[in-house]
Amino acid sequence: MAYAYLFKYIIIGDTGVGKSCLLLQFTDKRFQPVHDLTIGVEFGARMITIDGKQIKLQIWDTAGQEAFRSITRSYYRGAAGALLVYDITRRDTFNHLTTWLEDARQHSNSNMVIMLIGNKSDLESRREVKKEEGEAFAREHGLVFMETSAKTAANVEEAFINTAKEIYEKIQEGVFDINNEANGIKIGPQHSAAGGASGAGGAGAGGAAGGGCC
Amino acid sequence: MDFLKSGLKTVLGAPEPGQTPSAGETVERLVERVEHSTLLEDRRDACRALKAMSRKYRVEVGAQGMNTLKQVLELDRADNETINYALDTLSNIMSPSQFEEEEDNPNVPMNIGEQFTEMFIKDHNNIQLVLDLLDEYDFRVRLSAVQLLTSLLTNRPKDIQEIILVKPMGVSKMMDLLSDTREVIRNETLLLLIKLTKGNANIQKIVAFENAFDRLFEIVSSEGYSEGGIIVEDCLLLMLNLLKNNSSNIHFFKEGSYIQKMLPMFDATDDGEELGWSPQKVSNVHCMLQIVRTLVSPSNSAQLLASCQKIMKYAGLLDALCSILMASGVPADILTETINTVGEAVRGDVTNQDFLGNVMAPSNPPRPAIVVLLMSMVNEKQPFSLRCAVLYCFQCYLYRNEAGQASLVQTLLPSSGDATALTSGQLLCGGLFSSDALSNWFSAAALMHALADNPTQKEQLLRVLLASNIGSSPQSLLQLCTQLLQHSTKMQVKVSQLLDALSNWFSAAALMHALADNPTQKEQLLRVLLASNIGSSPQSLLQLCTQLLQHSTKMQVKVALLMLLSQWMSHCPAAVSAFLKVPGGVGYLVNQTCSNDHDDNEYLLQGLSAFLLSICIHFNDDSVENYSKDSLKQLLLKRIGMETFTAKLSEVTKHESYNKAAKHPQLRVKSPAEIMIDYEFCRLFKSLESVITQSLAVKQENGVADSGSDRGSPAGDSLLQYKTLIRQQDARLHELTAQLDALLQRNQQLQSALNDATASNSHLKDENTLLKAQVSAVNSLPNQSQQVPREDVKVKEHEARIQELTAEVSRLGQELVTSREAHKMAADELEKLRKDQDDLLELLADQDAKLNEYKMRLMSLGQAVEEAPSDQNLT
Repeated sequence: MAYAYLFKYIIIGDTGVGKSCLLLQFTDKRFQPVHDLTIGVEFGARMITIDGKQIKLQIWDTAGQEAFRSITRSYYRGAAGALLVYDITRRDTFNHLTTWLEDARQHSNSNMVIMLIGNKSDLESRREVKKEEGEAFAREHGLVFMETSAKTAANVEEAFINTAKEIYEKIQEGVFDINNEANGIKIGPQHSAAGGASGAGGAGAGGAAGGGCC
Repeated sequence: MDFLKSGLKTVLGAPEPGQTPSAGETVERLVERVEHSTLLEDRRDACRALKAMSRKYRVEVGAQGMNTLKQVLELDRADNETINYALDTLSNIMSPSQFEEEEDNPNVPMNIGEQFTEMFIKDHNNIQLVLDLLDEYDFRVRLSAVQLLTSLLTNRPKDIQEIILVKPMGVSKMMDLLSDTREVIRNETLLLLIKLTKGNANIQKIVAFENAFDRLFEIVSSEGYSEGGIIVEDCLLLMLNLLKNNSSNIHFFKEGSYIQKMLPMFDATDDGEELGWSPQKVSNVHCMLQIVRTLVSPSNSAQLLASCQKIMKYAGLLDALCSILMASGVPADILTETINTVGEAVRGDVTNQDFLGNVMAPSNPPRPAIVVLLMSMVNEKQPFSLRCAVLYCFQCYLYRNEAGQASLVQTLLPSSGDATALTSGQLLCGGLFSSDALSNWFSAAALMHALADNPTQKEQLLRVLLASNIGSSPQSLLQLCTQLLQHSTKMQVKVSQLLDALSNWFSAAALMHALADNPTQKEQLLRVLLASNIGSSPQSLLQLCTQLLQHSTKMQVKVALLMLLSQWMSHCPAAVSAFLKVPGGVGYLVNQTCSNDHDDNEYLLQGLSAFLLSICIHFNDDSVENYSKDSLKQLLLKRIGMETFTAKLSEVTKHESYNKAAKHPQLRVKSPAEIMIDYEFCRLFKSLESVITQSLAVKQENGVADSGSDRGSPAGDSLLQYKTLIRQQDARLHELTAQLDALLQRNQQLQSALNDATASNSHLKDENTLLKAQVSAVNSLPNQSQQVPREDVKVKEHEARIQELTAEVSRLGQELVTSREAHKMAADELEKLRKDQDDLLELLADQDAKLNEYKMRLMSLGQAVEEAPSDQNLT
């Protein structure tokens, strides 16, 4: 339960590129082949370890459909990391990246770490976007790039963890203001969490004092 | 008024003597001034004046000044005071409530605030303007903007929610205000957010994303948790809004370790016990309990629910709740809600159920908390809602808890030695046979939950023997239950007006639960015979129910009995035929279904009757002659009609109490009078409704087809008939062909035999002719005496030969006769042959006669004695 840091992520990109599947693979380690349209935003969470520190990831998976665009914009500001996803078998989803990036840059805080993800790498035979194109786009816009497959789980862990590493480094460099929660980063309750968990009975008041502030 | 007038004077200058301007004119001049003045001070003063007038003359100010005020918001942002006046004015004219000043003004319509809101939000930019003003740090401006948004949301919640949702940073800006150090703004923002988040999942998620739970817990803890003021309640209400029916947010709440943070809220070890709870504390704790219940509501997804329950146990929240349960001085409604909450927190989770089972009440001697709770359930002095809550909690405790069910039944079994300790089983039995109708019902329901989905315990319970009266022989629990039922029914029949109809409802409901999904019990119950009046012949329970149904005047009793009968007769053809045999049963149902009373409850009754009627049809095994499946169907079609019937059937689901009961396993009624439909019945109805309508519809189609065959169209039935007919005929045809073959063969045999006979016949004829010739030759030489002996020898030879032939002929004749008799089929040929044969026979007879003659002659001729016959023959 105790964690050193908490990062908020969002996953963005065109509809049907596999955002929800990436999240499901990361949190539940399973793949759901049926496309179940995301309505608005869905939430998922998982604990990871970086540099020996427990880091809690809270991930908001947004709806890709245009109709939800205005709703999903509300989530940019409070996120520390974003996974921008396209589908390597659909050229148009790659072409829309610029729009997504503009949107993200406009509404998010300037330090947000953006990871570019070309999903569905298992469908090599139907590939429409070359890996080099993705790499070039990422280089041009200063993003981290990775090709993943939510189906085979290839690179899925890495995508989320590398983003977290990037954020962690930025914290170490002092780029992020960790006391401003609007950045999507929280410092964990550290030692007070232990007191809160064990202090179920008589020590209830003590646990309250410890767990109250964070 | 004087102040107002003097204010106006300073703005407008002194009015012309002898003429007071009307409100409309004044507003017009003020609006003009706001619009056209070049000096900021002038505009500010005019705004102030408009604000002052807006409470009394909001129609005028709103109608003329709306656009101008919007313009001020846009252009005069630099001057906080002017902005503040403009916002307040807008707030006033769109206020959802009526002002004191305008109470005596008949020109102000009731929903004037809403109308102006509608005008204001037509241009979405106006909302953006107000949202932008939230960024203004100035206290007055910020506060006014928040208040204005709150009034707008009160008037048109859905529209404003949608507009704010699409404004980038709209929600985020409001969330920022929650961290405002000025408490007034923070508190007003809370009210705004409560309105904003109501019923809009997307906004709820954004608000949660913006760290709302952190902010709210900070406020709650700084205000002193449950001891805090109304602001704590507001925070909790907002949390409740964010979590209610929003699984994404519940997931987030759970993952964010916020459940652990709730623990201090339920700190029961405070010193306020003696003082009693303040009303505010009651509200606060009530809200907290609501939040807990939202997290573990049975309607949540199973996975989410289970993990929330685990965390509650792990974090000690369940422990804290149980200690509230056992604490003294807790107000009754909080206690009730805590019981419900504890119930839902343990529902279906074995670990938590065990935990609850092991909680001991601080009484002397210590008793399990469950026993203490049950004690209040069977105590008729406890409030109705509390008793319902205990039942619900008990139900949750036993839900999917086989060990718990077993241990409860164990306390009923005779072997459980210690008679002095009060056990839950004893309590329930005591309640079951107490004179209080409600206690009966609660105990019965509690026992029912002990049996739910657990066949082993059902059998166990059958073995429970109770000594109902000291000295009398022990009776089985089932017997006692039946007796009890009989007892209450009897009383109901006798003094139906005097007795509490509730007891019937409860009994019927309890019995219904006992029948749910259990075909054996249904048939068992059929055999229950009740002596309805002492001395009269025993009647079956079903008969009694039906009779009671026909004679009862009370709604609840009728509904209860219809539910019971439906549960009983579904999937149980034996019960159906028993019901059909009860005189007037079907007639009553048909009448009820057809009846045309316009009343909500009557509709329900009609629907239930229709349902029972369709059960009668669907589960009918055609064992009652007058009411077979088809005849009942015809009755339904003719007397009621399919349309009406389905309409009536759907009335059940439309009824309020059905919907209430179907929503939640918990019995949610405010007063005993509201008890109508039971959750278990809703399940039955849901599962059967479509099946029954479908089967009726299919039957109806069949009926159409039958009548169609009369008109000559092919029908399955008659086709089948023809097929069997053809098959029969086919078989007969085969049979006959075989017969024919056999006959033909036999005929052939006979024919060949006949041919043989004919051949030998003709051979005989030839020989006969030869013989005749020889005989004539003999006759022509009578004198040749030396020849006589030779001739004699010859004659003897002939004689022997003739005898031989005679034998042969007679044999053939016999053969012919038999073959003639046997083969009448071949009559034609036989007849012809017979003729020939007859002729032959005649001939032969002649010959025979002649031969005899010859013989005689030869005998007379041969010797005196011997040859005479031959002489005689020669003459």
